[in-house]
Amino acid sequence: MPAHPLARFFDHVDDVTAEIARREAGGVAHPAAVDDEIAVCHPKQLDLVVDEVITETATTKTFRLRRATGELLPPFQAGQYISLRLQIDGVRTSRAFSVSSSPTERRHYDLTVRRVPGGCVSNHLLDTITPGDRLVSSGPIGTFHHNPLFHGEDLVFLAGGSGVAPAMSMIREVVNRGLPRTLHLVYGSRRADDIIFRAELDQIARGNPEIIVDHVISEPDADWSGPTGFLSAAVVERLAGPLRGRMTYVCGPPAMYAYQLRQLDRMGHPRRRVRLEANGIALPAGEDRDWPAEVDPTAEVTVAVRGRGAFRTPRNRPLLDALEDNGFQPEAPCRSGECSMCRVRVVRGSVFTAAEARLRMSDRDFGFTHSCAAYPVTDVEVDF
Amino acid sequence: MSDDYDAIVIGAGNAGLSSAATLQRGGRRTLLLERHNIPGGAATSFVRGRFEFEVSLHQLGGMGNGPLRQVLDQLDVTRRLKFVEERDLYRTVVPGVLDITLPAEWQGVADAIEDSFPGNRARVESFLELCHEVGNWQLAVRASLHQPQEQAAWLRGLPRVRRNGLRPAKEVLDEYFDDDRIKHVLASYWSYNGQPPSTLPFMDLARILTLYLEYKPYHLHGGSQAMSSAMLDSFLEAGGDVRFNSNVAEIRTRQGTVVGVRLDNGDEYDARMVVSNASAVTTYTRMLDPTVVPDSVLRDLRSRRLGISGTITYLGLDATARELGFTAGTNMITSELAENTVRDSMFSLGPTPYVVASCYDVNPIGFAPPRASHVAIFSVQYGRVWDTLAPEDYARAKYAYAQSQLDLVEVISPGLRDVIEEAEVATPHTLRRYLGHPGGAIYGFDQDITDSWLFRDADLKPNVPGLFLLSAWTTAGGYNPTIVTAARFSQRLLQL
Repeated sequence: MPAHPLARFFDHVDDVTAEIARREAGGVAHPAAVDDEIAVCHPKQLDLVVDEVITETATTKTFRLRRATGELLPPFQAGQYISLRLQIDGVRTSRAFSVSSSPTERRHYDLTVRRVPGGCVSNHLLDTITPGDRLVSSGPIGTFHHNPLFHGEDLVFLAGGSGVAPAMSMIREVVNRGLPRTLHLVYGSRRADDIIFRAELDQIARGNPEIIVDHVISEPDADWSGPTGFLSAAVVERLAGPLRGRMTYVCGPPAMYAYQLRQLDRMGHPRRRVRLEANGIALPAGEDRDWPAEVDPTAEVTVAVRGRGAFRTPRNRPLLDALEDNGFQPEAPCRSGECSMCRVRVVRGSVFTAAEARLRMSDRDFGFTHSCAAYPVTDVEVDF
Repeated sequence: MSDDYDAIVIGAGNAGLSSAATLQRGGRRTLLLERHNIPGGAATSFVRGRFEFEVSLHQLGGMGNGPLRQVLDQLDVTRRLKFVEERDLYRTVVPGVLDITLPAEWQGVADAIEDSFPGNRARVESFLELCHEVGNWQLAVRASLHQPQEQAAWLRGLPRVRRNGLRPAKEVLDEYFDDDRIKHVLASYWSYNGQPPSTLPFMDLARILTLYLEYKPYHLHGGSQAMSSAMLDSFLEAGGDVRFNSNVAEIRTRQGTVVGVRLDNGDEYDARMVVSNASAVTTYTRMLDPTVVPDSVLRDLRSRRLGISGTITYLGLDATARELGFTAGTNMITSELAENTVRDSMFSLGPTPYVVASCYDVNPIGFAPPRASHVAIFSVQYGRVWDTLAPEDYARAKYAYAQSQLDLVEVISPGLRDVIEEAEVATPHTLRRYLGHPGGAIYGFDQDITDSWLFRDADLKPNVPGLFLLSAWTTAGGYNPTIVTAARFSQRLLQL
């Protein structure tokens, strides 16, 4: 390669050109297939086969998924989720499910799914998926996992319903790897026969002193002799003892979080020692207290997608769902405001963004929002 | 939207944004294509809990009335931003050996060193004078390289630039100082280039010191993402088109000349000029028909070494900067003076002997909530050492490495671990994934003297007719160099 004409004015120029010539003679090609390297841990898409469907309770099944290619699945950190990409009644959408199997097991991922009243995707999976079916998902993703830099080794997990899935993965990992880690699971269910993984949890707890499991039932029948009610400050304190700064994980239905944070606050537990699994948007748009009072949440507005068309949708339909209803598909792994993959730029008009959206300062200043947590207040034009 | 453009820019990183805004504002119909859903490349941020985290900007150089300021003014970007000036250059610490803070002023540096290491004032002043001369020459000459006669005449009159420019920084420091501690302190910015002092070109150390001493170090309210978004706004206001989530699979050519691009979803766009902000390796070896890439380019690529990447631990801390013991924004902490220890660590997963700990709340940029602070801990690493790990061992290795970074930062911030509220670790693999750069290289090729623009005149040439590469792969890495070079070069493209 020719040097710049100014180079020859410098002392030592010949040393440098000689070194360049030497490197040219002994050069090797660089790894250019960056995408292939990245795909080892972060594949753009996982092609999965349903290996087994395990009935856990009357309302819950575990789908055991292996890789269609027969290869091992990417490693993940216990607590992370994958996002299934599905087509239901002609609409392409996605849903996040925590992996409930151990990260030491890479031949399959278990997804544990519970029936939800009106839950379009969960119920679709429970009603239609059988062994041999093919599914497509994202790779594992998510920040709800143990972080050894500051979580410590003495942990509490408050789970509600199918929110036990990531706890199960964490517990299985502690046992399988023999980690020097204590985990106290306080697990709330409505009825005793709703408890997912009950037999395995109780068996693990009996054989492993570092795993402690307490079941709490909110609608007990006469046979139930254990703790009852919700996971209130009193119940948690009685079962798990003073929290004393132990990292406390919370996973359950979205409505559980505000209640659980109040209870933890009542116990004097600092917020920085709490991890919440992102799990949807808690309040429908019109019921959020920040929703502009004069705006009818059910009325329709027009959403235009820059250069690609427009459609009508009610204001209280999340922008992401409205886009999917109309054939547009931002990538959307978490659908809870957190991961930012479904980000759109609002070119025109205004949107309401729920508090769950982890917007950045510049997003607000320059008109970006997360479509899963945003609702069109006026006619809008978005670009993504 | 029309599919035919005067120019297509691949990648909305710093250089891509600067180029696209310059071209569009200069009247060229320009399409900007970006793989991600936001502009910025490395100049971005992310959120965890109550905290937003600056990904890559340590200190913005070239503001004040410097070159970057001029470009941002020309692009009508400055008024959209709020700048935060820093008082100090950096604090350099070697536990038990030295702990000194240099203010961001030429004379203040000499005073501070004299305070800590008395009897060296004359040497320090004379060294800084040399840095000033060499640094200013480098900054000025890049602005007018199209005037070769004038440049040659000017350089003839600068014997000290010609004598010292190509030497390693260590050699020049050895000539001026006996005390290894002073050399260590004055070479602290080596990590902003990536070469330790024995291979760091003196001309680059002089340029970096001049950028910050002459024009002061700055931060940005809203972080580097605010500047990326502001550059995008300038581009859009001028009528530019941007497409996010658009991954260019191919730069299309006809009879060896660029005619447009094709995305991985099959969409095609036409333009006779394509500017690639993607890595030089990817652009030449993955995006082009191999038959149109000259052998000389491929030979040149092979001769160059993938540059540094890094491991960065981002911390959200539930305490103020003062409570944590952060008195300066930028803190260079090294376990010992020996350069070899640091150099070896760049190829090792063992405990790190070196960190740059940047606290963004000594002069707050707005990313941490009240009474809390945001710290990023950076260690230079080469990507290939991380390639030796089995996938299932990666997470444990990354946390173990981060623990060693925390150990070092606790030298100046005891108890820091007790107030961690958020922590996220990015390794060379993370940077590779987000930047798409082989080896996770952040500054492109290794920036030793062989990488200097003085020897890489072809980097900015259209080696394939119609194709121009503007990025850290074809100019010095960092915010000021990439943004300024891309704007100046694109100004010249307007004349084509």
